[in-house]
This record gives sequence, C-alpha cells and structure tokens, in this order.
Amino acid sequence: MTSIIGEIEHDAVTEILNIAVGQAAASLSRLVEDEVTLSVPFVEFLSPDQSAIRLDEATGGGLSVAVRQEFHSSFSGDILLIFPERKSLDLVRSMLADTVPLDQLTELEQEALIEVGNIILNACLGSLANQLGLTIESSLPTYVCGRGASILDSKNVESELVMFLQVDFSVAAKGVRGYLAFVMDIVSAHSFAATVSAYVARVMAG
Amino acid sequence: MTDMTILLVDDSRVARMMTGAAIMRLRPNWRIVEAASGEEALAAAAAAAPDFVLMDVNMPGIGGMAAATYLRRDYPQAAISLLTANIQDPIREQADRIGVGFLIKPLREDALAHFLDSREDPS
Repeated sequence: MTSIIGEIEHDAVTEILNIAVGQAAASLSRLVEDEVTLSVPFVEFLSPDQSAIRLDEATGGGLSVAVRQEFHSSFSGDILLIFPERKSLDLVRSMLADTVPLDQLTELEQEALIEVGNIILNACLGSLANQLGLTIESSLPTYVCGRGASILDSKNVESELVMFLQVDFSVAAKGVRGYLAFVMDIVSAHSFAATVSAYVARVMAG
Repeated sequence: MTDMTILLVDDSRVARMMTGAAIMRLRPNWRIVEAASGEEALAAAAAAAPDFVLMDVNMPGIGGMAAATYLRRDYPQAAISLLTANIQDPIREQADRIGVGFLIKPLREDALAHFLDSREDPS
C-alpha cells in the first residue's frame, strides 16, 4: 500500500503531518492546560482491515471512542480522532474541570469529546490545507464508539485505504493517548499523493 | 465601565459553557446571551442588540460566516469576531473581507480580553 506514494512524497507527507499534528497538539495542550507530548507520527497506508487490527492493538482490544468528520477537497474522506473509551472521561475532566460541576461531567462527556475533536481535527486539517495551498471543507463532527472496525466504518474495504497515523497525543499527567486516522478511497489517495508531489515540486523549485 | 451585552453563538453547548465561563471571569457583570445557530443568532441579536458577538463558523443551517455578515451589516457598532477551530487561511481572509475579527479555538484568555477591550467606553 505504501507504493501509492514515492519515497520523497512519503517523507513530505510525514513532515506535513508532523506540522499539522503539532498544531493539533498545541490546541489540545491549551484545552487541558497540561503539556501534551507528541510522538513523531509514523504514517502508514493500510487497508481498513489492517487499520482496525492496529487500532485494537493500540487500545488493548477495548472500546474506542472517536470523533469523525468528513472532509472534501481535491481528495476526500473521513478523518478520525480516536481515544480509548476508558480514558475519555479523564480527558473531559481535565478540559472542563473549572467550568462544569463534577456531577454534570458524565452527561456532557459526549458533547465535550465532540468539541475536543472539532478543535483538534480542524487544527490538523487547517494546517494541512494551509501548507498544501488548498481549501478543505469539513462536515460537522460526529461521535462514534466501538471497536476498531466499527470506528473506522469503511464503506468498501476493497477500494478504501487508511492513512494511519500512530500519533500519540499523550497528556502527560493524565495518561491519555489519542490516535489519528484518515480514511480515503483509492482515487482520493492518488489525488492526495498527486497534491503532495506538486507540493514537493514547488518546494524544490523554491 | 458600562455593562455590555455579548452574544455567544455556537452549536456546541460545551463550547458555549467554556467561552461563557471565560467571559464571566473577565467581565462578571456583563449579560451573556447564547444562540446555537446562525438563525438563532439573528433572532437573539434583534432582541438583545448585542455590543459584542462571538460567532462559531461551522454550524448547521446558514452557518456562522453568513450570520456574521448579516450582523456586521445590521449592527455596525458591535464588535464581532469569529471564534472557530477552522484555522484555514481562506476563513481568516473572509473574516477580514466582511469586517469581523478572527479568534481561534481553544480561546486564549488574553485573546478574549483583547477582544473585550476593543470597543469599551474609555470612561
């Protein structure tokens, strides 16, 4: 699957996403008022099945919660921010502790996660768009909960692939770790690769 | 300092709670009016004549950009700013074109304070 892009483009994607994810991590850090350590994203192009397995491994086989947004540009798909379900309330607590009475936190958990997702996914997509010189439209965020395959919700496992970022948004003091995934069909993945190639050519040309 | 009315527009209840809490810390006497969509914002503005407006962009219905455009036209004295997670350059440029500010989520308290200072009576 990595053959969908060349070696230089793969490096460029990693760099572009590093910057985008850095922007997202900065947003998360301000939200939770805590340091967010960020591992270097290792970008892989996987099939939906492989991605689901990877996700279940990463979350220890437990339930995950995710915020999903559709995005549309010269390439389209879904972007997901994924957290282990058992940790999601900790994240919400650290974000809303000063704002909301403790007994209302559980009730607001889902809405709060959607807002976290909205901020982080838009920071990531926005940085991606600004770097590549594109406009990316995105849908309103939605909440999903389940195991890997249902979280990724691939419409067609034969023709889709997942740009899977092993991004650790580790909120140091809270032990919360999140992941990012882009789900695109093959056509969109090729458009994305072409956009990155054009970006590399522009950068090389100065 | 004259107490003012601020209209807070966001389809996320959590986002309204977070922004509302920050406003209350900085301006405890101000009146905060909330709306959950662009359409609601127009109706709320007609009733409350806000001095300040903070407007999310990505919302169901007409969305925040259109609502901000209408409010800019109808309330030329009001300080209006987008408050959005969408950091893309075209959104920032559009805010500039329609004559409203641009604040990004998560909202920094110093950025909010700067916005709230932007049209207060110096007396």
